[in-house]
Amino acid sequence: MVDLKFNKVSKRYRVRQELGQNAARNRIIRKIQGLRQRTEDFWALRDVSFDVERGQAIGIIGHNGAGKSTILKLLASITAPTSGEITINGRLSALIEVGSGFHPELSGRENIYLNGSILGMRRREIHQKLDRIVDFAGIRQFVDTPVKRYSSGMYVRLGFSIAAHLDPDILLLDEVLAVGDAAFQAKCLQRIDELKAAGTTIVFISHDLGAVERVCDRVLLMQRGEVVTDGSPAQAIAEYQRQSSSSEVSKNNQLSKEAEITAVSLYRSEEKDSSTFHTGEPLKIRVNYLAHERVMDTTFEVFIGSQDGELQCHLTTELSDERIDLEPGVGNIVFLCEELGLSPGLYNVSVTIIYRGQALGEAIDFRERCTTFRVDAGKITRGKFYMPHQWQVEYGENHYLGAVAVQDREIVSPKAF
Amino acid sequence: MISDSVLPTQQSAPRRIKVIRSPSFSVSRLFGDLSVLAEYRDLLYTLSVHRIKVRYKQSVLGVSWAIVQPLALMLIYTLIFTVITKVPTSGNVPYPVLLYTALLIWTFFSTALTTATNGLVSHNHLVTKVYFPREILPLTYVIASLFDLVIASPVLLGLMLYYQVPITLNALYAIPIILIMTTFITSMAFIFSAAQVRFRDIGMALPLLLQIWMFATPVVYPLSAVPERFRSLYMLNPMVGIVENFRRVLVEGAPPDFFVLGISALIALLLLPAAYIFFKRVEATIADVI
Repeated sequence: MVDLKFNKVSKRYRVRQELGQNAARNRIIRKIQGLRQRTEDFWALRDVSFDVERGQAIGIIGHNGAGKSTILKLLASITAPTSGEITINGRLSALIEVGSGFHPELSGRENIYLNGSILGMRRREIHQKLDRIVDFAGIRQFVDTPVKRYSSGMYVRLGFSIAAHLDPDILLLDEVLAVGDAAFQAKCLQRIDELKAAGTTIVFISHDLGAVERVCDRVLLMQRGEVVTDGSPAQAIAEYQRQSSSSEVSKNNQLSKEAEITAVSLYRSEEKDSSTFHTGEPLKIRVNYLAHERVMDTTFEVFIGSQDGELQCHLTTELSDERIDLEPGVGNIVFLCEELGLSPGLYNVSVTIIYRGQALGEAIDFRERCTTFRVDAGKITRGKFYMPHQWQVEYGENHYLGAVAVQDREIVSPKAF
Repeated sequence: MISDSVLPTQQSAPRRIKVIRSPSFSVSRLFGDLSVLAEYRDLLYTLSVHRIKVRYKQSVLGVSWAIVQPLALMLIYTLIFTVITKVPTSGNVPYPVLLYTALLIWTFFSTALTTATNGLVSHNHLVTKVYFPREILPLTYVIASLFDLVIASPVLLGLMLYYQVPITLNALYAIPIILIMTTFITSMAFIFSAAQVRFRDIGMALPLLLQIWMFATPVVYPLSAVPERFRSLYMLNPMVGIVENFRRVLVEGAPPDFFVLGISALIALLLLPAAYIFFKRVEATIADVI
């Protein structure tokens, strides 16, 4: 049974163009000219067709501007397609930006009714679910307090709780998983799993490849308004990673280019190229450069970011006393992380060559997101990152077993003071 | 952490199939839109109640603000038109009563139109995020203003008792008159709120337009004060038949002038479907331009 069907759907946006030289000098006339402004067509989607079976969880990934959010908006009926036809079989609810319909002056209870009805629930339905919504959000004490007095955590929890009780046939998920703390995200994922188990069809649109892989059975990769890959999550994500590494390294920045970065490769130890690593195990990053002239006193920097664009860590040669002067020709710099501190997930790498002490904007070369890699579980991490550590046992003063204990006693024992 | 009770109950009701296409007009589509609106009636109710609650929350006078506005206007205009200059009045009903009656219904018109015009634009955070039939937004403002009218009505009763103006059964005609009025306001609200999304000039011009419109309507003067030869043109303004007849049935105790009221009713009834179709057409791509 097909729950969702896109049949040759296209969406055109009209992008306004600035008036050129033949614009009138008079401001008012110019304004009137502006009314019949020349517009440029931008096709956010072009003849997109796909079907989603009932109970399937489909992910949609792609770079910014690839058409992901347009699909979301079309599915949610927020905007209409320019041509083509979308068929939706069942009740569709979107879990988008939790809490956007709250009114600060109204109480939690009133907001549940308001937000619930905006999301398409009937009053009777909200009435039945009110207690469950309140308990799930954990705000029973404050249910009659205006939401402007809520903490931001309560606000988010209440918003999610309402949306989580929608019971849709088809659920649309945006970047909801990117907001809130880890506990909230876990709650989100758990709820999604429940809905999935109950046979809900899920459409998940996200930058967070890790979450997409975890939730979806099938993934569409979008590029410039078209579906370029339709397959298993592993397949589509691999294609996306390949796409990002090939398409963006060749991107030509208008920088000074006394030297340029020609390749960035990642290694485990002595092995060949890899794109999968493990927490707590080695990661080597090799940056190949080509210097067109002699470049004095440079700094190489590597930025590792997560998929949502947040910088996770920064490697630099700047703090070392060693001066890096580039001679004309090729060469490479290797960064070695003996124990990778990143927790499991997907990351991207940006690399720059810069004169020591200069701002990033004056880089000699800057390759943004030139490659991506994945970290799988290795040495256990709970929390945000793995910290390399060693350990030893220190016994108390009454412990007389073994040489270590005797040695330590002299240090720890109060008698030593 | 999550109880089983949260699990979705498998709906036994048959699933509704929805087809989304590029915007175009057809009669079946119009009925489809209306049935979706009917499905969302609970939202219309909740949002209207919300509108009324929020309007008076955190104000000291609260709901009495609905009375203050027409009452204050009545005092000002009474001062101007009976003390400073004289307006010809027909019959023997005191001027303040005539004036308050007209202001009551005029305030309904101007408040509803002013608030509804901004209805879509001021909810852009919702309009770009969640789908619901957008006509609900202007409609809730019309309903909230209708509520104000109901709140401000007892004052008229008080005035009539004070000035010893008799009430007759003809006052019941006020109900169909308000219905015609609401139909007309709803049409105007659809057109203005949809146009406001693209051209914010509408909102800018509205206060001026309403000012002119009020003086083109027998609010501060009676219809009889308008010279005969302009009257047929004058009556093309649908507000003329409404305001004049509202006053007639309530305070003058006469039956309505069915011809004049008929013109208003006809205009309102023809305008409503056209306004709704226009609104739905704009709605389809509202999120792209708002």
